[in-house]
Amino acid sequence: MRTMLNIANYEVRHILKDRVAFAIVFLAPLFFAFLMGSVYYSAAINDVPFALVDLDNSLASREVADYFSTGQHFKINPEIDTCEKMEKAMREGIIRGGIVVPEDFSKKLARKQSTEVLVVYDASNLLWGYNIRKFAYEGMDEFNRRYAAAYLQSMGMHPAQSDEVLNLVNCSIMTWYNPTYSYINFLYAGVIFIILHQLGLLGVTLTIPREKEGNTWIHYLASPLERWQIIFGKSLPYIIAGFFNYALLLWFAHHFILLKIEGSILLIALLGFLYTCAIIFLGFFISLYAENSLQISRYLILLSIPIFMISGYTWPRYRIPGIIIAISELTPFTWMAEAFRKVTIKNLGFPDIAYNVLGLSIMIVIGLALSGTFRKDREPIAEDKIRVNGGPEYPRRV
Amino acid sequence: MLRLFYAFFRREFTYIWRDRGLRVVLLVMPLLSLLLFGLAYRAQVLTDIPTAIADLDRSAQSRALASDIKQAENLDVVAYYNSYEEIKRAIEKGEVVVGVVIPEKFGQQQELRRPTRVAMIIDGSNMVYAINASVAVLQVVRTIEVKSGVKVLLAQGEHMKDAMNALMAVNIVDEPWFNPTINYAFFLVLGLVLNIWQQCCTLLSAMTIIGETGTRSWVHLKSSSRSLFIIFLAKILAHLVIFMATVAVLYGLCFEVLHLPLRCDFGKLMLFTMGFAVAMHSLGTLVSSFSRTAADASRIVMAIAVPAFVLSGFSWPLEAMPQILAQVVKWLPQTGFFQGVIFLSMKDASWAYMSQYYFQFLLFALVAYALTAVIFRLVPQKTS
Repeated sequence: MRTMLNIANYEVRHILKDRVAFAIVFLAPLFFAFLMGSVYYSAAINDVPFALVDLDNSLASREVADYFSTGQHFKINPEIDTCEKMEKAMREGIIRGGIVVPEDFSKKLARKQSTEVLVVYDASNLLWGYNIRKFAYEGMDEFNRRYAAAYLQSMGMHPAQSDEVLNLVNCSIMTWYNPTYSYINFLYAGVIFIILHQLGLLGVTLTIPREKEGNTWIHYLASPLERWQIIFGKSLPYIIAGFFNYALLLWFAHHFILLKIEGSILLIALLGFLYTCAIIFLGFFISLYAENSLQISRYLILLSIPIFMISGYTWPRYRIPGIIIAISELTPFTWMAEAFRKVTIKNLGFPDIAYNVLGLSIMIVIGLALSGTFRKDREPIAEDKIRVNGGPEYPRRV
Repeated sequence: MLRLFYAFFRREFTYIWRDRGLRVVLLVMPLLSLLLFGLAYRAQVLTDIPTAIADLDRSAQSRALASDIKQAENLDVVAYYNSYEEIKRAIEKGEVVVGVVIPEKFGQQQELRRPTRVAMIIDGSNMVYAINASVAVLQVVRTIEVKSGVKVLLAQGEHMKDAMNALMAVNIVDEPWFNPTINYAFFLVLGLVLNIWQQCCTLLSAMTIIGETGTRSWVHLKSSSRSLFIIFLAKILAHLVIFMATVAVLYGLCFEVLHLPLRCDFGKLMLFTMGFAVAMHSLGTLVSSFSRTAADASRIVMAIAVPAFVLSGFSWPLEAMPQILAQVVKWLPQTGFFQGVIFLSMKDASWAYMSQYYFQFLLFALVAYALTAVIFRLVPQKTS
C-alpha cells in the first residue's frame, strides 16, 4: 500500500510539474464545461427569425399574425412581406421560417368555408425545422379553438355549450421529464460526460508514454514492484481527479447552467465512480501500448464526436443498426450517459440502471485485466524500417 | 527555385507517408467516420414513434378512439396496456415514447355528451423524439377533437360541411424547404463527416513548423541557406493538395453513394472548401510555430477544432447563443465553413452571399500566416 502511494505521489508531482498534464487534468474539464454551457445556456430555441406574408390583410388574417408575433417563439421580420422576399430571405438565412396567409382567407372564413395557411420552414437545419413546425402547429391549434368557439356562439350556442362541443374529448398533452423542452436537459449532461471521458482518457494515457519518452519506464520494469502496484499507483491520482471533476462539473451544471439533476445522490456518486474507474483503466491500457503522446493526442481527440453521436444519446438507439450500437457499447460513455439520464431526468432507481452498472463494472474488470498485460522485461525496439514520428521520439524543440 | 520547390513538395509527401499516425489519421479516419455516421443515421427520417395505449374503458367508443390513434401518421402503436401504471413503466423504461390513456367510462360520458379527458403523455427526455412526437400528437388530437365535435353538431341538426368548417376553419399546409422529407441524415451526416475531416487536416497542419524545427535535420536545413519561404510554401501546398484530395473522395461518397443533396455546382463547393482549407491550415501553422512539441501542437489545435464544431452554429443556432459568444465564434473559420457548406449544398447560395465567408477565410489566413512569420522569427528554433 505504501509503495502504491509513493508511486501515486510521484505521479501527482509529474502532473503538477507538467503544464500540459496539469491543464488537462485540472483546468480543461471546467473550461470546456463552461464553454459548452454558454452555448446551450438559452436552453430553448426562441425568437426564431420569421416572416409573415399576409396577402389578405384583413382583421382575421391579422388575428393569425398575432398568434405568431406575440409570445417568445417567433421574431417577425417586418421588412419581408411578399413571397419573393421570403424565399430570398430563407435562402440567405435571414429568416428560418414563414407563414403565408392567402388572399381569400377572410372571405372564406366569412362564408364559413375552411381555408389554409402555408407554413414554411428551413429544414436544412432540423433544429430550426422541428421547432418551427411544433410552434406553428401549437399556434394554429389555439387559433382554431378560438375560432370554433366564436363560430359556435355565432350559431346561437351558449359559451358553455360551445365548450362542451369543443371539449367533448379533451386531450391533455403532458410532456414528462422535460416539460419545457429544454435542450440543456437533453444535451448538456452528455456533453459533460464526453468532456470527462476524453480528457480523463487523455490525461491518463500520457502517463506511460511520458515515462517512455523520458526513458524512466525502465525503472518500473526493472524494479521489484508488482504490476498491480504500478497500475493502481499510477491510476490513483487520475481516479481521484476524475471523480473530483465529475462532482465539480455536475455542481457547476446544476447551479449555473440549470441542468435538471434529480434522483438518488448515492446512485449519481456510484455511477460517477464507476465511470471514472472505467475510463482510467481503459486509458492505462491504451497508455501501455501507445508509441508516444503525439499518437495518443491525435487519435483520442478525434474520437470525441463519433463516440457521442453513435451512442444513441441523441438519435434514438432503436434506429441505429446493431453493429454500430455494439461498437458504441465498447466505450464507457454509452453506458454512463444512458444511466445518468435515467437517474437524473427520469428519477429512476437502481433496478433500472443495474444493467448499466453491470456494463461499467465489466469494463473496469476488463480494463484492469488488460492493464496487467504488460511484461516486466523490456522488449527491444524494432528497427526494421525508417519511420517518422514512431517509437518514443517525435518532433520537439528543447 | 522551381526545382527546390518541387523537391520539398515531394519530400513532404514522403514525410507524411512515413508518419504512420498521420497516414491513418488522413486516410482512414474520415472514411471510417463516413461509414459510422452513414450507418448510424441510415434510418434518416424519424417516423413510427413507439406508442402505447391503455384503454381503461374498453367500450366501442374507446376502441374507435384507439383505432384513430393507430392510424395517425408517425405514431406506431406497439403495445396495449391495461393500466396507467403499465404505461408509466413502459415510458420510464424507454419502451415507448408516447402513451395514451383512455379513461374509464369514456364511452358512457360520450353518449351523455359530457366532456372527458384523454391523457396523451410524451417522454420529453430525448428532444429529437419529443418534438416529433408532440407534432404527431397535436395532429392526432386535432383529428380526435374535431371528430367528436362534429358528431355533436350533427346530432344538433347541423350539416356535415358546416360542422367541419366550424371546427377545422384553418388548416396548416407545412412545407419543409431545402429538405422536404425532413431527412435527419441530410442535415447531419455531411456536417459530421466534414468535422472529422477538418480535425484530421488540422492535425496535419499542426506539423507544418514543429515537424521541421522539432527534428535534428532542422540544423542541416537551416544551414543549407535554402529559402525558408520556398520550403514552407512547398509544405503548405502539399498539405492543401492532401486536404482537397481527401475531401474530394468524401464528397464523392456523400453525394454519389449516400445520395446526400448537392444543389450547387461541385466546383463551387470545392472552391469554398479550399478557402476554408487555407484558413484552417493557417491556424494549424500558427499553433505549430509556438508549440514546444508536436504533441502540444496537436492538442492545442484539437482543443480549438473539436469545440469549434459545436460553436459553429451547426448543431445549435448562433442566434440562440449569448451575443458575445456568437460574435467571437463568427471569426473561427469552422463557423463560416459549416454554415456555408449547408447554404451551398442545400440552398445553392449565391456568390454574393458566400462572399462574406470567403472574405472571412482570407482575412483569417492572412492574419494567421503573418503572425506565424512574426513568431517564427521571435521564437528561438533550437533542436536537441
